[in-house]
Amino acid sequence: MSKTSIQATPPAPAAAPPEDRRDKPGGSPSEEAPPRRRPERFPLLARLLRPLASLRLTVVLFALSMVLVFCGTVAQKDANLWVVLSTYFRCFVAWIPFQIFVRFAQVFFGVPASVSVPGHFPFPGGYVIGGALLVNLVAAHVVRFKVSWKRSGILMIHGGLIVMLLGELITGLYAVEGNMSITIGGAANYVEHPDHVELAFVKHKDDKQDDVTAVAEKTVRKGGLIQDAQLPCDVEVRQYMVNSTLLEVEKAPPGTPNPADKGIGTELVAVERPAGTGVDTEMRRDIASAYVTFKKKGGGEPLGTYLMTAYWGPQKLTIDGTTYDVSLRFPRTYTEYTLYLKEFRHDTYVGTNTARNYSSLVQLVDAGHGEDREVLVWMNHPLYYRGQTFYQSSVQQDSMKNEIGTVLQVVSNPGWLMPYLSCALVSLGMAIHFGLNLIGFLNRRAAA
Amino acid sequence: VNNFKTYLPWVVVGVAALYLIFKLVPPGDPAEGMHLEEFATIPVVANGRVKPIDTFARTTLMALSGKQTFKDENGKTQPAVKWLLDAMCFKLGKARAVADYKVFRIENDQVFGLLGLQPRAQTNFCYAVSEFGDKLPDLAREAQRARQVRDKDRTKFDLKVLELESHVQMLLAVTELAEPLVLPPEGPGEEWQTLRQALSAAPSAGGADEPAENFQRMLTGYALNKPAEFNKALAAYRQHAEAAAGSEAHTDLEVVFNHFEPFYQCAVLYVFVFLLACLSWVGWREPLAKAALWLALVTVMVHSGALIARMVLQGRPPVTNLYSSAVFVGWGAVVLCLAIEWYFRNGVGNVVAAVIGALTMVFAIHLGGSGDTLEMMQAVLDTNFWLATHVTCIALGYTATLVTGVLGMLFIVLGVFTPALDREMFKTLPKIIYGVLCFATLLSFTGTVLGGIWADQSWGRFWGWDPKENGALLIVIWNALVLHARWGGMIKQRGLAVLTTVGVMVVGWSWIGTNQLGVGLHAYGFNNTLAVALVVGWGICLGVLAAGLVPLRRWGSYATWTAPPAPPEPGPLTTSSPAARAKRARKKGPGYSPA
Repeated sequence: MSKTSIQATPPAPAAAPPEDRRDKPGGSPSEEAPPRRRPERFPLLARLLRPLASLRLTVVLFALSMVLVFCGTVAQKDANLWVVLSTYFRCFVAWIPFQIFVRFAQVFFGVPASVSVPGHFPFPGGYVIGGALLVNLVAAHVVRFKVSWKRSGILMIHGGLIVMLLGELITGLYAVEGNMSITIGGAANYVEHPDHVELAFVKHKDDKQDDVTAVAEKTVRKGGLIQDAQLPCDVEVRQYMVNSTLLEVEKAPPGTPNPADKGIGTELVAVERPAGTGVDTEMRRDIASAYVTFKKKGGGEPLGTYLMTAYWGPQKLTIDGTTYDVSLRFPRTYTEYTLYLKEFRHDTYVGTNTARNYSSLVQLVDAGHGEDREVLVWMNHPLYYRGQTFYQSSVQQDSMKNEIGTVLQVVSNPGWLMPYLSCALVSLGMAIHFGLNLIGFLNRRAAA
Repeated sequence: VNNFKTYLPWVVVGVAALYLIFKLVPPGDPAEGMHLEEFATIPVVANGRVKPIDTFARTTLMALSGKQTFKDENGKTQPAVKWLLDAMCFKLGKARAVADYKVFRIENDQVFGLLGLQPRAQTNFCYAVSEFGDKLPDLAREAQRARQVRDKDRTKFDLKVLELESHVQMLLAVTELAEPLVLPPEGPGEEWQTLRQALSAAPSAGGADEPAENFQRMLTGYALNKPAEFNKALAAYRQHAEAAAGSEAHTDLEVVFNHFEPFYQCAVLYVFVFLLACLSWVGWREPLAKAALWLALVTVMVHSGALIARMVLQGRPPVTNLYSSAVFVGWGAVVLCLAIEWYFRNGVGNVVAAVIGALTMVFAIHLGGSGDTLEMMQAVLDTNFWLATHVTCIALGYTATLVTGVLGMLFIVLGVFTPALDREMFKTLPKIIYGVLCFATLLSFTGTVLGGIWADQSWGRFWGWDPKENGALLIVIWNALVLHARWGGMIKQRGLAVLTTVGVMVVGWSWIGTNQLGVGLHAYGFNNTLAVALVVGWGICLGVLAAGLVPLRRWGSYATWTAPPAPPEPGPLTTSSPAARAKRARKKGPGYSPA
């Protein structure tokens, strides 16, 4: 007879249909009404934690996370991934625009494309939901802690999930992604980070070395006068555009302001575009531009107003007889080793332009560590070296669409191993837990 | 009558087997006429794959007209290879005929306007080039304009114009002999050639390229309606081509496969399984249920065979694109449901197997209309290891989640609208759902994480928040939510059925919906029919869900729970009055234990 029925009023158990009674005692452990309470080891702690450990809270958090993930998915229709990441998943509060639901209805229910609803509402962001799930999970295990074979699967699953949530947090906080572009026959020893820009002054010292001074995007974006002892001149940012396109001056619509009086700005004019829309299936990114006036140090005479843009390479700027290459470029981090691109291959399926494989044959030279070896980087086969991983990402083309080099995606992520660990733990845990359940169920049926 | 009942399953299986054999046997070529069936097996290359010319003809015609056959000038239905041959003989006197074949399907009102056509249902909205040939420059101009529009800003008209223009180009390429690549490489290092390339490379001087000459002779023989010449050139050509194309191209198998159309046959048979299973609840329970189960077993054998044949033809794991995911999910669901039926023998497995089987087959047949379903993989997907693990696992996760949902929906529909959900079913069905749900969670979680690991291997990002990844994540979270709600006592039998119904909607979103957004690494493009089908599916789920929320005492099966259990079991304590039982059932449903 079932333990739980002891608490019932005497006639009640009798009323159950016979099958009910037969099924009850063997019922799956987790689907039963609350088991008899064990004596608490830490009564106070348990009392405090019990509300946090509630399964209801788990279910509510799951539901909230689904809403967030759903909105963060639809949002990608209009905003680029980096914007979505920072406004939905890697934040504490996500401000979800009502337009998200309109967009959804436009795709699926034929709502006219012109409909637009302003405003947004706050919603718990990825950090809040993830953190709350973590607290809920840990609290549940503290309150209901019990080691047994039956629960070993659950423990493994939840342990794995904790590892995964932490891994995603570490990735969000510490992973760095960038690109390394190498032309065929050329070499590279730096990684570019295309989600930002910097204003760089490069002084050519000799064949081997350059002096680089750079102003970070944050500072440039603020605008106004930038003065620093390390800079060769003062910099006044007159306009900064997070995303832009370039037009030839003659072709620009009349009335387009063009503050530039030197450099390529005399031929091209930058037009601002909304940020974060540069992404489609090809994952294009924002291209920043700025109008900048360089001035001699200490409030001196202007050296000219330039159009600085990430579309364009360095422009010459001469200050007191020294020539600098000035550019608005993606920030670089330099590696202690160099990759030489020996060969780049782009195989297609017979008779088509569909890519079958991209591969880069590189020579890895690291004098400091005595490395000098040939490596083939290709689809699904990255190069792991000194905490960095190099993936075949795309291909460099010149203006005639000739393939002139390779682009490797470079990632360093201190948490890269955690998902693997997590996956192993959870899958094993589920296999054990559900397997035990299934065996129990089949045994009961066989016995019945 | 009793005899008939006994033999009914045998009769059903026998009829099905005869039908399948009839469909499987190829028609064969007439001794006198042109050997079109033999011609169909010629290996060619299109879209990067060696395939029989039959497949090329079918997929091209399918893309144009939505069908794999066409009506000739006499209104007689003809196979796709004949259309292709006519098109290839465009310059050999078949121009008139080809221009008059009504094979361009046009359904958009604005396109009608552009081309000066009237909607015409009699020809299935298919039109001949000769009907809009004078408007081709307008079409080209509009297509040029539409091409300038960014992908996501294109209107439906833009898309339809581009589609029709590409169809015209497809026909043009065939008439110019620029598609497909018909001539295999002569030696290592050489490439496949189109007939045009080969003929222009070696202008038919004395030392002409022999296979190209043979092919040309074949076309001439066909155009002049001289079967003997056609057959002779064909035999000579085939001998050469098959040696040169290599052995990995299973063109014969593929032609049989094309002809048999196994997934179409499966769709038909699943409908019969459904009917038999439904009838079994009305009367003749035992024999009809048995017949349904046996027929389902026959069908699943065909389904499995077709799946294996596709794997052999492609040299890949079962799931490589949306089409094959439909085929595989259907297969997995049917196998799972038949296992359930085998074990529980309550007819539930049959019905669910038939429903999911038929729907996924229809889905696949629809998707197959857009081109070669054995297409080549994009570079990053060219890895059998991950296709076999991640993709298969995800597809099985969809499968199991769908099965839980359809079982849940069946629970609600039977319970609310019929008296068939008896006490026993009320308790058994949720247990089955729960068991499948556990494995759905396991499979979708493992599949999702394997995808993350693949992503980490191929571009260094374990989780990219890509729409398809997010969709898979939603399935995992939803399944986990349902499990936790059940463990926490928040839901019982009915709640489980209602929530798993939502699971179907989540799978729909993940499987089809996310693709419609047209963003991300897994984007396959927007498909209007799929979007509509998805919305209809969601609507059905919501309807069932609403029905599931009706108070239990209003359920159609309510009366069967309050009736005394039969046979009544004698015992000292079975004194409960029917009224008391009714009161409990009203509150909690029959499966509720009186704790």
